[in-house]
Amino acid sequence: MKIKAQVCMVMNLDKCIGCHTCSITCKNVWTNRPGAEYMYFNNVETKPGIGYPKNWEDQNHWKGGWELDGGELVLKTGSKLGRLLKLFYHPEQPELDDYYEPWTYDYETLITSPRKKHQPVARPRSLISQQRMEIKWGPNWNDDLAGGDDVRQDVNLKKIGEDIALEFSDIFMKYLPRNCNHCLNPACVAACPSGAIYKREEDGVVLVSQDICRGWRHCIPACPYKKVYYNWKTNKAEKCTFCYPRLENGLPTVCTDTCVGRIRYMGILLYDMNGVLDAAKTSDPKMIYAQMLGLVKDPNDPEVIESARKEGVSEAVLNAAKVSPVYQLIKGWNLALPLHPEFRSLPMVWYIPPLSPIAKKFEDKVYLPQSEAMRIPVKYLAELFTAGNTDIILQTLQRLLDMRTVMRRKEIGEAPPQNLEFDVYEYEKMYKLLAIAKYSERIKLPAGLQGKTHDELRELQGSAGYICPGGFC
Amino acid sequence: MSGFFWSALPYIAFAVLILGTAYRYWTGERGWSTKSSQFLAKDSLKVPIWLFHLGLLMAFGGHVIGILIPKALTDGVGISEHLYHIIALSGGIPAGVLFLGGFFLLMRRRFDNPRMKVNTSTSDGVIYFVMFLTLITGFGGTLLNAVGLLGDEFNYRECISPWFRSILAMNPDASLMADVPIIFKCHLILAMVTMIIFPFTRLIHCLSFPFEYFMRSNIIYRRK
Repeated sequence: MKIKAQVCMVMNLDKCIGCHTCSITCKNVWTNRPGAEYMYFNNVETKPGIGYPKNWEDQNHWKGGWELDGGELVLKTGSKLGRLLKLFYHPEQPELDDYYEPWTYDYETLITSPRKKHQPVARPRSLISQQRMEIKWGPNWNDDLAGGDDVRQDVNLKKIGEDIALEFSDIFMKYLPRNCNHCLNPACVAACPSGAIYKREEDGVVLVSQDICRGWRHCIPACPYKKVYYNWKTNKAEKCTFCYPRLENGLPTVCTDTCVGRIRYMGILLYDMNGVLDAAKTSDPKMIYAQMLGLVKDPNDPEVIESARKEGVSEAVLNAAKVSPVYQLIKGWNLALPLHPEFRSLPMVWYIPPLSPIAKKFEDKVYLPQSEAMRIPVKYLAELFTAGNTDIILQTLQRLLDMRTVMRRKEIGEAPPQNLEFDVYEYEKMYKLLAIAKYSERIKLPAGLQGKTHDELRELQGSAGYICPGGFC
Repeated sequence: MSGFFWSALPYIAFAVLILGTAYRYWTGERGWSTKSSQFLAKDSLKVPIWLFHLGLLMAFGGHVIGILIPKALTDGVGISEHLYHIIALSGGIPAGVLFLGGFFLLMRRRFDNPRMKVNTSTSDGVIYFVMFLTLITGFGGTLLNAVGLLGDEFNYRECISPWFRSILAMNPDASLMADVPIIFKCHLILAMVTMIIFPFTRLIHCLSFPFEYFMRSNIIYRRK
């Protein structure tokens, strides 16, 4: 056993209202620079939908993530030698139009226009070529199922052999906020020819060294979530940093902090580094989730604590792990699931599948429908979170439904239902964490990872960042 | 003047190449990149990038052989002058065609596409210009020589190659360059200019070929 700490995030999709506040605050902090205009380290997609970049989940096309080749774990984009042949031209690298061409508007014309017969119009202008352009696609083009034909291309729908029902009573959708998953077995790290991408030992954050990156671009196709981006101006790869300067000071990421629906939870997970490869090599994709749970260790187990201390995990981190809300959601109640575990990168951003909208599909008299009869097909959720294993989805949904039933009965003064999996007390705890938890309960991050004094930090101001201090950019 | 070009400039070029590259590495690694533009225009890159790099590598290999292997050595193993030139041209002409063809297609791509234009820096423009002239003089000189328009007595393996080796031996012999046709003189001076500007252009990416990638483990962990 080799215990390491991982800063981890859980999103409760039941509460996501699709407002894009996370994307916008993230963009304002991290990607509002030339060359990064098109990047969203965090974006929110409507599911079903093809997402950003287009069809990123279709690995037959993009070849992202890992696959098993005779029991060995290899990158889907090919062997090391084969990939070096793609240094000049990488067939699986998305281009600008696979994301969208970023634009602004000629706002100047609104105030400088001479008197004319018609009102002046602010026309769109490309942020790349600075020329007039026609807007053909955007980062959230499929928001709320807009563009039905595009939405139908969703690869998860195709896999379960279902089309989007046209009947309004059957139509379904949900939101999926996505940022870098800071995987335990990151494909981008393995694909980088220069060794510029690394996983931090202290907190598991995956970062691109802007000095070592040479712009070979192999991380971009390798990431199955397409969360590494190519800056066309600095010619280097960039990705979500998990707001590590904030993490180091005990603060959550910007997306978590500003989330309007308060769907995001952050905390420490202790995991066994020695088991990572075996978990990623699990032969049946439907079992990868279970293997991932096996990697996550109990922060109160003395053996785990001792091993963690031996690996240099600090007391502050160990203490945070003991009260970690994400541990409770992932391992305690098995409510949070990894996004597309079949990509075998062992993602560390987890999702609680949504129950809502709780709307009766049939004219029945029950307060809540059965977990199988939810509006969002269980098979669809299973494609997203469990590589098609519907049993896990049904179990999770049932626990969420039970929680609601318990709380409703309590509210109206009835006895709790029979045959519950957990004690009533456990459901109340679940309710508190999922529904009404305050900032300090949703986010338990240790301060003091930084190890620098405030004076030292002040000296560093302006010396780090994406721009090039020595010129030549 | 010929003393400067053929005795001093080569050393200046080598010095700038080495010191300039080191300077850039230490001060500007943040900007050290392949400067790939595949992201902005993908389809038009697919074939030309291969033509260009293949032609370039073949041409580079040909120069190494032609300059570093003395004529006495090939004569010694019984390769006649005629046979040598047939071998050299059968490699050199395809290399030149690939190199020049790839270069032409890449330039058309770069200056025909509004997205690419904004991604083209001044140093890019300079290196394309110098590279074009170097290519034209080198390929043109080789073709003229092959059809005999540069005179029968000219053989680069008896003047340019020994001169270059005299540079490497730190004992420059500028007299060897006296009767070299002007087109090859231009080619050599342009090559030296390329070496001088090399550290300050995108060409440095050729030094970053990731050999070490084969040695390392898949996942890299680093402490803060």
